[in-house]
Amino acid sequence: MSRRTLLAVSLCAALDIGAVAQTPGAPPDLAGVWAPYRGGRGADPALAPPPPGPAVLKPAYAEAYRARRAAEDEATKRGEPLGTAAVLCTPYGMPRMMSVALYPVEILPRPGQITVITEAFSEVRRIYMDQPQLPIGDVAPGYYGHSVGLWEGDTLVVDTIAVKESVLSYQNLPHSDQMRITERMRLVTKDILHDQITIEDPVVLEKPVVYTLAYRRMPDYKMVEFVCENNREYIDEKGAVRMRIREK
Amino acid sequence: MGRATWAVACSLTFAMGLAGGNQRVLAHHSFAMFDTAKRVTLAGTVTAFEWTNPHAYIELDVPDEGGRVKHWSVELGSTSILMQGGWKFKDLKPGDKVSLILSPLRSGETGGLLVQITLPDGRVLGNGPGRGAQP
Repeated sequence: MSRRTLLAVSLCAALDIGAVAQTPGAPPDLAGVWAPYRGGRGADPALAPPPPGPAVLKPAYAEAYRARRAAEDEATKRGEPLGTAAVLCTPYGMPRMMSVALYPVEILPRPGQITVITEAFSEVRRIYMDQPQLPIGDVAPGYYGHSVGLWEGDTLVVDTIAVKESVLSYQNLPHSDQMRITERMRLVTKDILHDQITIEDPVVLEKPVVYTLAYRRMPDYKMVEFVCENNREYIDEKGAVRMRIREK
Repeated sequence: MGRATWAVACSLTFAMGLAGGNQRVLAHHSFAMFDTAKRVTLAGTVTAFEWTNPHAYIELDVPDEGGRVKHWSVELGSTSILMQGGWKFKDLKPGDKVSLILSPLRSGETGGLLVQITLPDGRVLGNGPGRGAQP
């Protein structure tokens, strides 16, 4: 959501002049289960997500990020992959929860709110519709932050703030408490959904990072329970991922 | 090409897919602790089949030529990914005799990542191929 749109929403709320103007007609139907759509063999290239833009960090963060990635690569080559929060079954949070391996997400719109549930780790985020965003600093940081949304024509625009700094961002990028995530969700066909994600962070990023996730509708799919109850992976004293085996 | 040869070819292709795109199949950790270039074939008796997340596991007693039994822990994908590959929660039970191929832990411990299994009823299953063909 642009600052201008946010301002407009805030003004409307402040002046009590009613809901934000809606495009005539019902918004597009996003209800249901959506699986990642990555294109590939047999897929329509026009429907696959466009390639992501570059991530350019401020100098103060770039070297540490590069060194971490290099250490991860080196450890993986040694067969001792470095542990991450996910190894301990910690939720991914925003924005990574929107794209975890091949797992689908379920979108549940209702008046005033759109809820997103992921299959992997059963993460839940709530998007409050047609409300002004709260100021950064007024929301306790969390894994999913605070999201507000509105329809701009056929596009659902979602603004998210207040993601914990310990929750790594896209491609494990670091971020500050000033991070803002803007999503533009749009049906490119009846059954293909694109979510263009823009990450802004004036502290960490030189310029916004932009990438697009694509999903395909799964009309008959029943979301599978995912409770992390039998996690045999752990992180050893060197920071590497290990698997516990049983004696018997 | 005979059926067995096809099975090996399929399992190798699948394994290469795993090695190349590990984050796409298992959500929460890298595969690098397993030596995916290696294959170990085991025949034994299931002592437990745990249909759980973030991974399912097969516990297996494997006798050697001398009659001594070694115990192996075999990691599978998550239940969701396995179901997409044709698995059901009741496909195995304690006492079942199975043969399977795994990629062993690099540590040398008796654990590994399932590549392929032959169930008691003869069906051959992998470790979840992902979510099938794209439209």
